[in-house]
Amino acid sequence: MAKAREIPGFEHARSFREAAASVVEVRTEEIFSFRAGVLDTGDIERVHDMRVATRRLRAAMEIFAPCFPRRKMFRRALRDVKSLADALGERRDPDVAIAGFERVGRALIAEDRAGIASLVDELRRRQEAGNEALAAKLDQIERDGLRERLLALVAEARAA
Amino acid sequence: MRARKVKGLDPDGPLDENLRRIVLVRLDELHSFVPAVLDPDEQDALHHMRIAAKRLRYILEVAAPLFGPGAERGAKEARKLQDLIGDIHDCDVSLPIVHRHAERLRTEDAAAVRAAAGARAKDVSPALLRDAPNRRRYRGLELLAVHLEARRDVLYARFLEEWARLEREDLRGTVQAALADVGTIRRDG
Repeated sequence: MAKAREIPGFEHARSFREAAASVVEVRTEEIFSFRAGVLDTGDIERVHDMRVATRRLRAAMEIFAPCFPRRKMFRRALRDVKSLADALGERRDPDVAIAGFERVGRALIAEDRAGIASLVDELRRRQEAGNEALAAKLDQIERDGLRERLLALVAEARAA
Repeated sequence: MRARKVKGLDPDGPLDENLRRIVLVRLDELHSFVPAVLDPDEQDALHHMRIAAKRLRYILEVAAPLFGPGAERGAKEARKLQDLIGDIHDCDVSLPIVHRHAERLRTEDAAAVRAAAGARAKDVSPALLRDAPNRRRYRGLELLAVHLEARRDVLYARFLEEWARLEREDLRGTVQAALADVGTIRRDG
């Protein structure tokens, strides 16, 4: 799992608002840095990294919520971050279940593996569906300019 | 589970004061799920405690550069707790998935055996089971369910031990002391 990026100058922030702007800015860029390859079902760690980054941004937005003056725009951005997190979760959860079930399957004798294999097949279909939904969600957030809206909120917090 | 509101946050106020307020509320929130989580059947309470541990972890990770080793330790322990309860939650979520899959296979097999018996059958011969399409799949699924149940029990026992350890070591007090120290340093200049 990718480590959280450092927030330059965080400890010396002169106010809660100044810290808020720095944290949300860094966490926003972190999410979009994982965009490339996230739909590649051969590399499940990219989805995991993007999901963790999304959780960190969401947590930061919830912590620093009072620092963003445009409440409606903030709430909409937070809602979009949550829905991205949900789409990443729908895509990631079958990965985790498949890994766990296959681990159990490997420990069984060959003739006992068929049932687990049939369950894994079903989960792979869910994984594919999750990937399609994630692709649609990523297109949507690009069209809706989520990254730009988040950075605009950061700029306003700094100027306030 | 909605996060408890934190009163008195001031965007133009000092960073440490605001973070302190949030940490104290999140610490209380985590502890509010005891004693409910000490009942192994309280899956919802345990799930909510995991979310509370996650929120506490994230705020302590943000606050650690200001509040030092006590906050860092709090963040690590919150993360361990979150991960452990997460593994329990995975078992709780996986078991119904396994049962539902077995149910689907049974339904398919029942339909296949019914079809094999023929439209005018007055009864169903057990011999038709020999060709049920999923007949070799049940045992593996049952064994998987056995594993998940046993694993859940073991992980839950570990959770009780971990929680007892955190109470003995007074993690809450350690984190609260770390928050207080910064205030003292600031007041004394």
